[in-house]
Amino acid sequence: MAPIDRRKFLKAGAAGVMLLCYGPPAAGFSLLGPKRATSGRDDISGQVFTGDAPEKPWKWSREAKHYEIFRGEQTVCGLCPNVCRLSPGDRGVCRSRVNIGGVMYTLSYGNPCAVHIDPIEKKPLLHFKPLSRAFSIAAAGCNFRCLNCQNWQISQARPEDVRHYELFPEDVVRAAEQSGSASIAYTYSEATTFFEYMIDTATIAHTKNLSNLWISNGFINPGPLADLCRVIDAANVNLKAYDDAIYKKLNGGRLQPVLDTFCTLHRQKIHFEITNLVVPGYTDDEKMVKKMCAWIVEALGLDHPLHFSRFSPQYKLKRLPPTPVATLSRFRQIAMAAGIRYVYVGNVPGHDGANTYCHNCKKLLIERNGYTFGAFNLKDGKCRFCGTPIPGVWV
Amino acid sequence: MRTKNERAIIRIILATGVASVATQLLTIREFLALFAGNEFVIAVIFFNWLIIGGAGTLLAYRAADSFFRPSPIRLGWLSLLAAAMQPVNLLTIRLLRNVVFIPGSETGFYQTFVYTLLTTAPYSLLIGFLLPFSLFVIRRESPAYPGTTIYIMDNIGDVAGGALFSFVLLFIATPMQSIAFSGLILMVAAIPLLMPNRGVSVYLLTAAILAATTILTVPVFIEIRTLEVTGGNLVWYREARTGRIQVTHQADQYTLYLDGSPIASSYNLRQAEAAAHYPLCQRAHSERVLIISAVTGIMNEIKKHQPREIDYVELSPELAETMLRFNLIQKNDRMSVIHDDARAFLSRTKKRYDTVIMCLPEPDTYQLNRFYTQSFFSLVRKRLTENGVFSFMLMGFDNYPTEADRQKLSSVHNTAAACFPNITMIPGEDIFFLCGEKPLTTDIPTRLEQKGIKTAFIKDYFAGDVTHDRLAYLENMIDPDAPINKDIRPRLMRLMFARWFALFDTSPAFFYAAGGLILLGYLLFASRGEFILFSTGFANMATEILTIFAFQIFIGYIYYQIGLIVTVFLAGLLPGAWTGGHVRYHSRRTLMLLDGAIIMLTGFFAVAVITAETRLPAVFFLAYGFIFSFVCGFQFPVILHLFGDKNRQTSGAFTADLVGAAFGALLTSILLIPYAGLAGTAMAIIGLKTISLILIGVIHGTH
Repeated sequence: MAPIDRRKFLKAGAAGVMLLCYGPPAAGFSLLGPKRATSGRDDISGQVFTGDAPEKPWKWSREAKHYEIFRGEQTVCGLCPNVCRLSPGDRGVCRSRVNIGGVMYTLSYGNPCAVHIDPIEKKPLLHFKPLSRAFSIAAAGCNFRCLNCQNWQISQARPEDVRHYELFPEDVVRAAEQSGSASIAYTYSEATTFFEYMIDTATIAHTKNLSNLWISNGFINPGPLADLCRVIDAANVNLKAYDDAIYKKLNGGRLQPVLDTFCTLHRQKIHFEITNLVVPGYTDDEKMVKKMCAWIVEALGLDHPLHFSRFSPQYKLKRLPPTPVATLSRFRQIAMAAGIRYVYVGNVPGHDGANTYCHNCKKLLIERNGYTFGAFNLKDGKCRFCGTPIPGVWV
Repeated sequence: MRTKNERAIIRIILATGVASVATQLLTIREFLALFAGNEFVIAVIFFNWLIIGGAGTLLAYRAADSFFRPSPIRLGWLSLLAAAMQPVNLLTIRLLRNVVFIPGSETGFYQTFVYTLLTTAPYSLLIGFLLPFSLFVIRRESPAYPGTTIYIMDNIGDVAGGALFSFVLLFIATPMQSIAFSGLILMVAAIPLLMPNRGVSVYLLTAAILAATTILTVPVFIEIRTLEVTGGNLVWYREARTGRIQVTHQADQYTLYLDGSPIASSYNLRQAEAAAHYPLCQRAHSERVLIISAVTGIMNEIKKHQPREIDYVELSPELAETMLRFNLIQKNDRMSVIHDDARAFLSRTKKRYDTVIMCLPEPDTYQLNRFYTQSFFSLVRKRLTENGVFSFMLMGFDNYPTEADRQKLSSVHNTAAACFPNITMIPGEDIFFLCGEKPLTTDIPTRLEQKGIKTAFIKDYFAGDVTHDRLAYLENMIDPDAPINKDIRPRLMRLMFARWFALFDTSPAFFYAAGGLILLGYLLFASRGEFILFSTGFANMATEILTIFAFQIFIGYIYYQIGLIVTVFLAGLLPGAWTGGHVRYHSRRTLMLLDGAIIMLTGFFAVAVITAETRLPAVFFLAYGFIFSFVCGFQFPVILHLFGDKNRQTSGAFTADLVGAAFGALLTSILLIPYAGLAGTAMAIIGLKTISLILIGVIHGTH
């Protein structure tokens, strides 16, 4: 065999490096069955939109609450833990808050893009004014980037880019009354992003004996949450995963601020229910669910209803299967074994996990057939069989 | 008389053609299995492949002229490398997908574009490089060796590779087996150029052959483990004509995936009840029901209405078999499974149905779009009984539709309204369209109660989900000015593209601008001959796409026949190039006649298709494809003769052909057909060829 000279050696080396860089069968062997938590982007959190703000406020703008001025013209939003620092002309992560001339404005005030009347069970709220209707509104915007968002059309859009109604707070309340709804739900997109609109509407609604429902991802700072707690009557907050890495990867959010929100709501004695969407391959880990339930029991107690919701392929997360029903049933058992008293299975018609059972005598209290009741065994908020008070608002 | 070297090199060219086309087809299938399989993605994959190939041919000339002198040994090593790169290429595409992107997620246009470009670039660049490089090697011994011969040999290899894969390997082999087989052919063809008598170390050659064989064969044994599985354990895997079928099992659930997207799952009550009962409750009784494709559990629901006969039409026998095997579709004594293209079936059948339920995916390819056109809806109406009902579904929205969604729904609504006097839409996760001669009701629960049919979802959820307010919202959002979707002017396609871009909050504008600049830059520096070849490459590819598009509409999606169309478009080039190489007169007039023939053929095709429609037999499309590509093939040697057949010109000619084909594939699929329709596309081809004709007319000083 001819001795190899330096030129040949370099050529062979370059060829080898090319092969390795090009793609690897070599790397391929270690890539078989990649772990989801370590594959793809680790954090899909939104970014500030530089220079994307309108030149001047529009009809549906108001000066925002909860912001500070920084270095003259910069504004720092204090509404949610994203804490967007905006120079004049910038738009926040949520797309609905902008810095115009050194003043922070919300672009979502009186311009809901979705207005519907829903059964309250659809929120889902199963322990609050059952069988009543919720006048539901949303304006465009969200501080998360969930890959499986059901309402991406409005949550991932700028307020100026969607068709909208004109309903200022007093109009919303009037329309809700006319529709015979018992409550107003701030929902669909992320209600926190139209905070000022929600607060003002909720304040008027209270004067008309309408309840206010906050349907949210819970990603809000303590100050604004304290304001909100004064006007909301019930909430359903998503606990998307009990894992900060998954929050970053699938939702573009973080876990701890959401946990803090639950604690605040609990301390403030607001009725709230927790929804956990079980996403196959990400949040269908039994160990994680056990940890989550242990935290709920320890930090929030046993009485807040927990919903395990079935995932179906949505938006950008369309290459995952729906959650197996058996997985949801199993998680329900785990949560109940952990001590949580009211655990439900959502998005599965006909599942036994939609019913309410007395945590004391275990008898059937409410048999739910979708948005209707088969049996209702509560009297004055107590179990008809053993008299145990059942947490919730049962008017 | 060919020398020994020439014969060896010709074998390499043939083998490269076989291997590269098989790899190209497998690469496209792999991308479709890993990314959204809409027309935009398909066009972009073709574009990337061809444009990088074109860059490879240019590079060959530059390299051969300076730092990489042509030699048989170098060609041998490169061919061996190309063989070994085939499985690497496919594995890279497959394995990196879930490393680069979040598993389970879909990717937007630019991400897909960059991924397809980068992962295919090394292989397609090398393949593009090999063809002219082979010619340069031969020309070291025989300086006058004609470029046309190389062109012909490459085409023979391409035709053989395409036919081998489409008609044989696809049915008997997995992707890795097919890759290994075609790669081994190339490897064997390369060995004669690397024999020790040429100065190659026997040890080095042995090591290289062993390494290449290992790289080619090992993936065959680990193939199953490299497949993307997004939930549970893989329990079923088939490569079918229509795509990759996989079934996973997790907890109590089987999920069926077609090209990586879950299309059926064990528990699907909501969709099954809606798909079956919304149309079937409309009338007192449905004797005869036709289902075009199916959703999980639909048979159990249909059975509750006790029809006498259920015809289930499914294009893919493998898909129907898998659905039945995993109980995703329940067997039924009254059900007949018909493996056919539903449109072709409806054209042929004399039966009339009381209810036709279509459960096809969104119309985001031309193959699917033809089930949402005015002609198709009219055809269904003809097959319905007087009281009959036709239903189909489109993806719904929770609370608000984007403008793109609104336009899409409006277009489909207006198209259906042009064919049926009564249309009703029911909102939800899926929006159901009910169409019929007689009025239709949205009070589904009451109807079902009257018929004594028990349901779970509809009974309990319908009233809360399908409120008057939501029904009215859907009705009111329909834009009466949205375009009607027609077979030969599929305007719904551009709305589907717009929706896809809206989903990822991106715009194709940057891509169009960048592509336009690249094209402009290329054309500015192209010689006249290159421009003519560019326009011919464009016309050939655009016409191939147009022919397949028309064939699907008027004859149906018949896999073998569409495979034959692709084959004849390649096969026609051969006798064309051979004839072109042997005619005596290579004059400007010949070239003008050929361009004139392309213009006339294009015009003839448009007129024939538009006027004759379904009366055209399949053989028309095959004959047309052959004749058209014959003319295109004819041009190649004529142009080389007129403009020079030196290395530089030959390399430029190969590049022009590939770049023309790349832009032909891209522009026809994503702009011309959706925006201008069949007639407009034909006009664009005619326009381009007219410019080419004018350019030929002003050539001076030639033969």
